[in-house]
Amino acid sequence: MKKSGILQTYQLRDSRLHGNDILNNFFQKFRKMKGEKVSKRLRETIQENIKNNKKMLSLYLTAGFPDLELTEKIILACDSAKVDFIELGMPFSDPIADGPTIQKAADRALQQGVNLRRIFQLVERVRKQSDIPVILMGYLNPVFQFGFEHFFEECARVKIDGLILPDWPVEESEPYQPLLNSLDLDLIYLIAPNTPKARIKKIDAISRAFVYCTAYTGVTGKDNRPLPGTEQFLKELKTKLQNPFLIGFGIKSRQDVEFYSQYAAGVIVGSAFIKFLENSDESKIVQNIKRFVQELRGY
Amino acid sequence: MSKITSSLKLTNLPDERGYFGRFGGQFVPEILKPALDELLEAYLQARQDAKFLSELEQELSDYAGRPTPLYLAQNLTKHYGKAKIYLKREDLAHTGAHKINNTIGQILLAGRMGKKRIIAETGAGQHGVATATVAAKAGLECCIYMGAEDVERQRPNVQRMKMLGAEVRPVYSGTQTLKDATNEALRDWLTNVQTTHYIIGSVVGPHPFPMIVRDFQSVIGREALQQVKEKEQRLPDYLLACVGGGSNAIGLFHAFLPFEEVKMIGVEAAGLGLQSGKHAASLTAGRPGIFHGMLTYLLQNEDGQVQLPHSISAGLDYPGVGVEHSYLKESGRVRYVSVTDQQALDAAFLLSRLEGILPALESAHALAFLENLLPKTSSDEIVIVNLSGRGDKDMETYLKHL
Repeated sequence: MKKSGILQTYQLRDSRLHGNDILNNFFQKFRKMKGEKVSKRLRETIQENIKNNKKMLSLYLTAGFPDLELTEKIILACDSAKVDFIELGMPFSDPIADGPTIQKAADRALQQGVNLRRIFQLVERVRKQSDIPVILMGYLNPVFQFGFEHFFEECARVKIDGLILPDWPVEESEPYQPLLNSLDLDLIYLIAPNTPKARIKKIDAISRAFVYCTAYTGVTGKDNRPLPGTEQFLKELKTKLQNPFLIGFGIKSRQDVEFYSQYAAGVIVGSAFIKFLENSDESKIVQNIKRFVQELRGY
Repeated sequence: MSKITSSLKLTNLPDERGYFGRFGGQFVPEILKPALDELLEAYLQARQDAKFLSELEQELSDYAGRPTPLYLAQNLTKHYGKAKIYLKREDLAHTGAHKINNTIGQILLAGRMGKKRIIAETGAGQHGVATATVAAKAGLECCIYMGAEDVERQRPNVQRMKMLGAEVRPVYSGTQTLKDATNEALRDWLTNVQTTHYIIGSVVGPHPFPMIVRDFQSVIGREALQQVKEKEQRLPDYLLACVGGGSNAIGLFHAFLPFEEVKMIGVEAAGLGLQSGKHAASLTAGRPGIFHGMLTYLLQNEDGQVQLPHSISAGLDYPGVGVEHSYLKESGRVRYVSVTDQQALDAAFLLSRLEGILPALESAHALAFLENLLPKTSSDEIVIVNLSGRGDKDMETYLKHL
């Protein structure tokens, strides 16, 4: 039997970069154009803090954990506790970038029928009482089913400030940048210690507000001991990026916050906050959140 | 270049962004992007490398036992009294299923990339066994993720993996089946991406996996094409294969795609029936969604949450489907149908009695569709069914229904 044809099935032209160059040029032009625009809440908050040399703290919580009513209270309590901005998780059935803590929170939210429509209603209620910047964070399929344009318009309508969609890398999301920019919605991209320099540059070039750097390669909420190369990576990152960056994944103590804040504009705490909420007495949630934030910040 | 090879170039997919029409892509966290780029580069280099290709050919013949026979099932043919039925005997490949074609290729790639550790997901355990097998031979550490429910219902394969030196990690999250095993394998890969190669078992996941797995599996169809021409001096009229992720189906179909007169049917698992909601028929009853790094047909609710599939066959119990199948469905080139658990069981018993071959429950789904198809054929037509695996692993299930 002749087998010499094995694997010669396709001649795939490796010209992927070509198309992206064109897009990059386009977005660079676009960035110059928008330079004149007044940036809004999230970007202002970040710039203000950087100017005052104040390190930021952002908390992640899953919408609908423990339930939607409490989520509203928790966000407002975070605002009173002077948390700089909120990442509000949109639950998904298969959160591949999340560890067990956030997986469980998402399962619980989904059991209560939390969906995007109800999350938008929640943010609308929050917006009547608070101006704290809110970033929606989640996986792409619920957004895809809702319809990208419809979803972005709803975000703008209820005054959501940004989006983090970890399974929507630059190559796939680039075509939507003009629409996002026109709605003043900041799409936050992630980078990791294993991201090659050229990609960091590319991601930085189309990022707005900030870049989200993960403290390690892996999923959220792991025990976080910085790997040997990480410090060097973070030191260099500061000089490389035009955007500010925040560090997240596995940050759970004041010690972690201090360590990572040396390098970045601030940190994001997720799984540790969810664990804290799991064990917190609902009637004292406002005072408890204040204490949780103080413990992390040290003031 | 052989005629077969040149005709294959008619289908020039995926495109450079990993798309088959509107399906495919790379919907993964940034952490995985460097690994996917590395894999693509290694693969593109490897398939131009004569040394790699000859090593692959030798492994496929001397280790996996290829080519597998194309067997004329005379008793089954007589039973229906219509078209001639041939079985492509992937059950006779080493480890008892077609899965070895892919793992042999991918372990060679892992070696070229200098990876020290192998992970994989498995449903029925066939891909887990095929991965543990090649990892043992290559002397690489191997960890297999398997849903806790599947660990129960596919026990012989769990024992085989352990004997081959692999660690089997039962997955207790979600539905405890193939979907969640894949989630956990992806989480492991996110964590150990620098040292580990993830051998995906089907034509699913982010680019370049659907292309790589398809290319390694397409040896099935290339052989079948040559064999049927030798035996019958003509092309077959129908190809039949089961579709979970769909690697055996794409493997059989691919070489035949340019020949329009060859009709192809992919058979999904209708479980307890499409109306019951308890099935795994993504192409028949799902709609496009983004899952496990790809845009493909997906079983999901209105909000885009992935729905729990059901099939008596652990290997078909997956809510997504290979991206190229989504494309072939929409282009109309391949027809996708479904059969129930009971129909698959009946077909497995029929083949055992008539031909002395115990098929895997997955493959039995393809055989079951003969009941619908054969009455519409004539005796001068030819059907090839991909017998993707053998049934030893399913004995417990079969005995319950004997």
